[in-house]
Parts: sequence; C-alpha cells; structure tokens
Amino acid sequence: MDRDDMTGPIVQVRRRMRAGAEQIFDLWTKPELMVRWMSPFPGAVDCKASCDPRPGGAFSLVMSSEGSIREVSGVYVLVDRPRKLVFTWIGPLTNHVTTLVTVELNPLGDETDVVLTHERLPTQAMHEGHTRGWGIILDHLAEVVSHDV
Amino acid sequence: MIETEARTQVASHTARLNAVFAALADPTRRAIIERLSRGEARVTDVAEPFPMSLNAVSKHIRVLEESGMVERHRKGRDHILSINARSLDEVDGWIERTRLYWEERLDAMERLLGDLNQDKTLGPKDRRHGPR
Repeated sequence: MDRDDMTGPIVQVRRRMRAGAEQIFDLWTKPELMVRWMSPFPGAVDCKASCDPRPGGAFSLVMSSEGSIREVSGVYVLVDRPRKLVFTWIGPLTNHVTTLVTVELNPLGDETDVVLTHERLPTQAMHEGHTRGWGIILDHLAEVVSHDV
Repeated sequence: MIETEARTQVASHTARLNAVFAALADPTRRAIIERLSRGEARVTDVAEPFPMSLNAVSKHIRVLEESGMVERHRKGRDHILSINARSLDEVDGWIERTRLYWEERLDAMERLLGDLNQDKTLGPKDRRHGPR
C-alpha cells in the first residue's frame, strides 16, 4: 500500500526459475501450455483456454473438476515478449472485480527471475471502464504501466 | 436454510470487501487510515494536515465509515474516529489468498518446466508423460 497514488492493495510474488524467459513467456500466452499449470484443482481437470496475446486481446480459462467450475478472464494491456506481460484479471479470487496482473521476466544466465504483481485498480478507472467501454480502462492501465517502469 | 445463510454471508462479505478496496483506492483515504492506525483522533485533527476543506475531508471520512473501516463515537462535543481492525484483517485475507494462489500456480509452472525440459533432453520416445 506504499506505492504511488494510482494503486490500491498489491500482492507480489517472486521466483527464480530454471528456464529461459522465452519458454516461460510461452507458458503464459499459449493456450495449450496455459491449461497445464493454471488450474487450481488437484488431479484430473478439464481445462479450456483461449488467448489473443496483443494489447486489447482477451484471454479466458475455464477449469472444471468434479462439478466445480472456475472461470478466469481478462484483457491484455501490454505484451512485450519475452520480458513483460500485463493483463487484467477477473475471477473468483477477485470477487469478480477487475484487477491487474503484471508478469516480468528478467534473464539471469540460464535462469529467469519471475516477478508477478497482482493489484486492485483505482475504482474510478473501473467505473469509467464500465460506463465508457474498454478504451478508457486500457488507456488508464497503460498509464499505470508506464508509471511503473 | 443453512446453505442460504452461508451464501448470504459470502455475498455480504464480498460486498464489504469491495467497499473496503474502493475506500482504499484513494490516496487521501489511505492517508486518513494511516493517521488513525497510530491511534484514535478527532475529526478536526484528522482533517488538519490536508490541503482541502473540512467538508471535503468529511466526505472521505464518510466513505471510510460506510466501508466499515472507520468508526465514530462522541466524547463530549468532539467526534472521535478510530479504525475497525477487523476490516483491515479482511484486506490481509485477500492479500494472503491471492499470494497463496500465485505461489501454488508458480509451483505448478516450475513442475511443468521440469517435465518439458526433461522431455527435451530425453527425446520424444522416452517421454514420461504422453500428450494430454
């Protein structure tokens, strides 16, 4: 909560992985790979994914297991292969309110430092997004993103 | 009956949490929360450091009261504000659940990377897992 005025509560998770940034970027943006790690259910899961990784393009994940279904969807805000990916995220965990996820991939030799930031958005931007369409919210997000760099 | 009650509880919890996050999205309101986290204070003392009218600060305080984060009681002629610690615990709850969710997803991603890269070195004939 100590960040600049544009943002609300924020979660950051950092991990060093034994793989190149290109490969990790693929896991985030190729549906056939997304379904293999994105599901929160243990065991057999029917997971369907679709994505259109360019700014304004949408992604969606539908995961079902033994009668429970989880759906997550969002819109890409920034796609900078293989270094940075920013997308909105709406799902059960966010009370179906739009949130913003930023994935940064920093190569370190054979490994990659993965920094994931998940944040709530200023509500004003969300209201504008709802009433005036996605253009406004994407503009705003781009602003947050450039602020962040 | 019990299920309906549980569902109502979840819905009201969701609404409350959304109100808390909406309240926290504003820098003035975050500053007010920060002030009150150091101890209860009179409305006028809370408003004092802000370069805006008492009326404008009062509006922010009202949003915080509606979200359940801030409570008001009277001491003589003074209105005293204090933080409702439970509402902040709910924010921590969201942060914890979200952190846990991503830690688990990244664990799964690392396992998948291990599988994929082992497949690469062994060649397609020695795959441990068939195509899914």
